[in-house]
Amino acid sequence: MKTLKIIFLSLFLFVSGGNLFAQTDTVRIHTSSLCDMCKKTIERDLSFEKGVKTINLDIDSKLVTVVYLPSKTNPEKIRVALTKIGYDADSLKADAKAFDKLPDCCKAPGHHE
Amino acid sequence: MKIKFIFERIEKYHFPRRVLSGLILALLFSLQVYSQATVKGSVAEWNTEMNMEMPLPGANVYWLPSLDGTSSDQQGRFTLRSADAYPAKLVVSFVGYKSDTVLVKSNSDLHIRLVKILDLKEVQVAAKQEAVGLSMINPINVEKINQKELLKAACCNLSEAFETSPTVNVSYKDAVTGAKEIQMLGLSGTYSQLMTENIPNMRGIASVYGLSFIPGPWMESIQVTKGSGSVVNGYESTTGQINVEFKKPMETTTPKFYLNLFAEGNGSTEINTFYTRKINSKWSSMLFLHGNYMDRNIDRNKDGFLDMMHNKQINVYNRWMYHSGKKLESQLGVRFLADKREGGQLHSTVNPAPHPHPYLTSIDSRRLEVYGKLGFVYPGTPFKSIGNIIQGTVHTMNSKFGLKSYDAIQKTFYIQSIYQNILWKSEHQYKTGIVFRYDGLEQKYNFLEIPIAEEAVPGVFFEYTYNHIDKTSVVLGLREDYHSDYGWVFTPRFHGKHNFTDNFLMRASAGSSFRVPYLYADNISSFASSKELFVTEEIKPEKAWNYGINLTWKFELGHHEGSFSTDFYRTDFSNQLVMDAFSDSTRILFYNLKGDSYSNSFQAMLNYELVENLGIRIAYKFDDVKSTYQGKLEQKPLVSREKVLANISFATNNEHWKFDYTVVWDGPKKLETTYTDPDAGALPSYSPDFVVMHFQVTKVFRRFELYAGAENFLDYRQEHPIINAENPFSNTFDATNIYAPIDGRRIYAGLRYSIK
Repeated sequence: MKTLKIIFLSLFLFVSGGNLFAQTDTVRIHTSSLCDMCKKTIERDLSFEKGVKTINLDIDSKLVTVVYLPSKTNPEKIRVALTKIGYDADSLKADAKAFDKLPDCCKAPGHHE
Repeated sequence: MKIKFIFERIEKYHFPRRVLSGLILALLFSLQVYSQATVKGSVAEWNTEMNMEMPLPGANVYWLPSLDGTSSDQQGRFTLRSADAYPAKLVVSFVGYKSDTVLVKSNSDLHIRLVKILDLKEVQVAAKQEAVGLSMINPINVEKINQKELLKAACCNLSEAFETSPTVNVSYKDAVTGAKEIQMLGLSGTYSQLMTENIPNMRGIASVYGLSFIPGPWMESIQVTKGSGSVVNGYESTTGQINVEFKKPMETTTPKFYLNLFAEGNGSTEINTFYTRKINSKWSSMLFLHGNYMDRNIDRNKDGFLDMMHNKQINVYNRWMYHSGKKLESQLGVRFLADKREGGQLHSTVNPAPHPHPYLTSIDSRRLEVYGKLGFVYPGTPFKSIGNIIQGTVHTMNSKFGLKSYDAIQKTFYIQSIYQNILWKSEHQYKTGIVFRYDGLEQKYNFLEIPIAEEAVPGVFFEYTYNHIDKTSVVLGLREDYHSDYGWVFTPRFHGKHNFTDNFLMRASAGSSFRVPYLYADNISSFASSKELFVTEEIKPEKAWNYGINLTWKFELGHHEGSFSTDFYRTDFSNQLVMDAFSDSTRILFYNLKGDSYSNSFQAMLNYELVENLGIRIAYKFDDVKSTYQGKLEQKPLVSREKVLANISFATNNEHWKFDYTVVWDGPKKLETTYTDPDAGALPSYSPDFVVMHFQVTKVFRRFELYAGAENFLDYRQEHPIINAENPFSNTFDATNIYAPIDGRRIYAGLRYSIK
């Protein structure tokens, strides 16, 4: 049981530790998402970017709020990452290749307006 | 757009509601409503899964061009300030649905139904998806096990998918075949009906290994219905229905390509994969593959018998779907599987010299399944539809248990037409149709041919559903079949539900069932005993009634959602095939029930999100199962009266790490054997209670997932699963008294890779 405890503890530290007390910043980016599927894609894919802590996309306002570690990334990098997923990021246009790969419902502009 | 969309609804769960300001706002709002003329109405959707109208909460309702509006409440109702002038245009919209613009002429009540956009079918609107969904709408007690829950199981097939659900128990049938059996309400899995995409499947001889013939990664979700099911699916389900939905090619959530690799410490390996192809806007198809392999000799209890059978399986499924976009929907599917299992005294690690006359077991199964579905919908009248199902299967099984053998071929043909529509208005819905089933069974027991058993059963059914704003619903089903051997079979079933509040409901159900038992296949594990099978009389069909009551309560505590659900079900048999393994010391007796046979099953389950991302489930179960053996009412052997299950799951904020832990306590079970010779295998009359724990970790990467875990990591095993294992051909050999796991701890790791 003792080894189990140690395993759990180290797992916990591994997962949550390190960043517990780090300084974070927040950026809001206007994007071209359309539906719930887009929300899922953006929130999932962006979460794998280095330094990104949390992502929340509001479908109606098309604003994605990203909390990040300024020591590891910056808003410009996050915007570029967003275009590589296939979405616009403020003034940056979506990467055409990535856009083509998006599910149909995320492609048609003004689809459910 | 300025209007507050569904997030208003979601935000309610995350931000503290200040009671006072809320009250003031409500007061102001009601004053405003009072002072102005309003338009009332409701928004609904047509739910294709349940084929009935469902309210749509959180839909946006607003006037054009002012964009002045509101959203619908939990019952789909809304109250809106009147338009400035009539006629006026009202827009109703909801993510994933086609928006509707209605021309409103006066302040009269409105009822608007939105149509789903096909591509978004499976998209969940809720911020978080509950792993085991308890519906607040469905009048039938259905537990939905979705993707999230399915991933908690180690692997790889349906028999393992119920590990975190208390409703379905899975246990080994005997110590030599490795066959697993499900139990619902304390009764054998033969009394619950297994379906794939609402077609009855894996019946008769296929039910022995049926669960392991459905690979986990192919499944989209499982719906477990407790108590008697719908008459539409037949008269056979007594204790419940299990319906499996496979992945569908036209859904956006289905990856283009998927690969799952799995390996386990005892040497068993698996591969699961599928490939999706959208041929054009109408046709799409999917190809599924599954293979597993295990050939290592594992005999940890050193009794000379393999603890785990060698197993090879190949399973291929190809499905095609056609959507005309307007009226027609069609599906075609072909499935083939071959499965081989070998065990017994197969190896010689204990005795250096090979056994001169080893006790060997082997089971070979082959199955071919072909099905088609053809559906017509009527644009503009979404409640009206016609569905046709056609299915044919051939299943062969060749098995050997020491000196005993059983070979069988079963051919099934099934055809069904379902028509549904409404009476007067959408509150009253009905389904009706005709059905025909043919079953042909050829069997050989110990190489002796058993007369071929054929069943041809035409039938009609009618099911009426009353649904009043989702508060009160009643489902009344009637079914009449004509069985070629047993004549008319009448099946009435009833389900009712009432929501006392938005978060508290009660369900009740009652229904009869009828089933022709498969004497050998249902009791295949009894072959793993030296006792001879002895049928004392002509076996009659099994008949039972099932009654149930369920209370479900959803709550919010400290801004976290939870649910509490409790139910009680009783099953009463008026006839049953009784397998009696303890009245006679040399024979296993089969006879018709003479006296009482019943099961009382109670369950309570609590689900709660303790803190953000940490969910717990605690369940308690009590099953009292008794049957009359030779005139004496006795506890049914090998069923635990009590069971406790707890599950904790935790995910990091971005869900890159997932942890899952399950603990199950199984109470004592009555044991079967009472041998007259005490030296041969005297057993205590009750098994010890035991605890089993499972643990799993998943790490999600951008393109793939890795997972690892341990099943039964405390390594609890039944000490002597086989009685007199040294002398398998003696008259006291018995491998059927299994109350606990035989194979012990299983450490595993796997990979999931998918291309969107």
